[in-house]
Amino acid sequence: MRPADLTPVARDVMKLPAGPGLILASLVAAYLFNSLPWAGWALLARPDLVLLVLVFWAVHQPGSVGQGLAFALGLAMDVGDSMLLGQHALAYVVAAYGAQVIRVRVLSFAMLEQSLHVLGLMVVATAVIVLLNLLLGSPAPGPAVLLSPVIACLAWGPLTWLLYLPGLRRMRREAAS
Amino acid sequence: MIREPPPFFHRGPSPLARLTFFALLAIATMIADHRFGALEAVRLSLSVLVAPLQGLAAAPGAALARVADYFASQDRLLRDNEALQAKLLEYSAAAQQAKLLAAEQQQFLAMTPPRSRFGAEGVIAEVLTYGRNPFVRKLVLDKGLTHGIKAGMPVIDAEGVVGQVTAVGTFTSEVTLLTEKDQSVPVMLVRNGLRAIAVGSGKGGSIDVPFMPVSADIQNGDLFVTSGIDGTYPAGLVVARVAAVEKNAAYVFARITALPAAGVDHHRFVRILTSPRPALPAPPASRPEERRAPARGRRQP
Repeated sequence: MRPADLTPVARDVMKLPAGPGLILASLVAAYLFNSLPWAGWALLARPDLVLLVLVFWAVHQPGSVGQGLAFALGLAMDVGDSMLLGQHALAYVVAAYGAQVIRVRVLSFAMLEQSLHVLGLMVVATAVIVLLNLLLGSPAPGPAVLLSPVIACLAWGPLTWLLYLPGLRRMRREAAS
Repeated sequence: MIREPPPFFHRGPSPLARLTFFALLAIATMIADHRFGALEAVRLSLSVLVAPLQGLAAAPGAALARVADYFASQDRLLRDNEALQAKLLEYSAAAQQAKLLAAEQQQFLAMTPPRSRFGAEGVIAEVLTYGRNPFVRKLVLDKGLTHGIKAGMPVIDAEGVVGQVTAVGTFTSEVTLLTEKDQSVPVMLVRNGLRAIAVGSGKGGSIDVPFMPVSADIQNGDLFVTSGIDGTYPAGLVVARVAAVEKNAAYVFARITALPAAGVDHHRFVRILTSPRPALPAPPASRPEERRAPARGRRQP
């Protein structure tokens, strides 16, 4: 068999699409992670895994995950965290838009540069939420809030590996048969 | 002539158009929720959907707590027991007095239109979690609409007022703490009956008592109880104890800081007072701008 062209973009095109089951399962797992009983500064530093998984799918599978799902997930987060309805929705929609705009560019990079792009998206989303709350008259959150996007960006590599695995395995199986 | 792309490539509106649409929708949602509180139905139905996930996520912590409880050391239990016994004795004396007072009050009330400021009925609720909102601290309780809880009900513990129910789900409800920013309670100084409004400071778990003139008779250690004039909190619940009084002749008002009497954020069981709110007397017709109740707890976002 002739070795295929494995430049990153081509690799992405060749990848089999992930099924709706995997997407749903990953989002539910991320929501569970966000719903753990965080408190105090850990709550401020909590990486927003729902947003990270959302960005992952918006980058890797723009056909199935877009701004509509981002909006719905944001509302679910607002209800879960008992915040003003709509602020997570706004942050997630903005991040999903950013992901759609830079997705081709992101996929042409290696993991480290990809993470840095994701860091940018995370910072924007966090800034949207913090600014909205400051506007509403809440006291400024502690500096731990800066940790949240950084931790999320560090998780991008492992997340990619984790969510690629089922697709890779399927590809191998189909190549073998 | 511009050729339409074949339907194969058709992908709906552009990302920017979508962003505009969804962003506007999100902002409209926020305004509707913040200004008008119009989305309680949406919140309620969504909370029914996410409740199982929330429960699942809380399960490991709850299980750990239960195991820890099980292995709680014997002497701690004994100590707790002793403290509770002492408290029981203390309260039983007070309860007997209260009975007498209640009987007297009954007699007085029999002479006036039936309207009691003192709430007695309540529901014991367990604290499930501290809300995961880093901007407003809340308690999540295990009683909700199905138990007859409504937004605005006061929540107390053994020592005093904890806060107020600000959002109700089907099986859970959220309590905004007394110490949160802009959470206000009308209070009365026990020693001399001075009326004031206690407002949460939002930082350090303390309560401010603003707009008290420098000449006001307030000392360290004075006790504030609810005055019951707002129709939300029944009268006579302990709210806070004055911790610092700063009187500076350069300012019109004294700076008064009080600490909440209730263990505002360390308890497992609280009591939601469910007795129906007494109707407020009709306001005098001549001054329509004073018609609003002076200090109902503001809805928190």
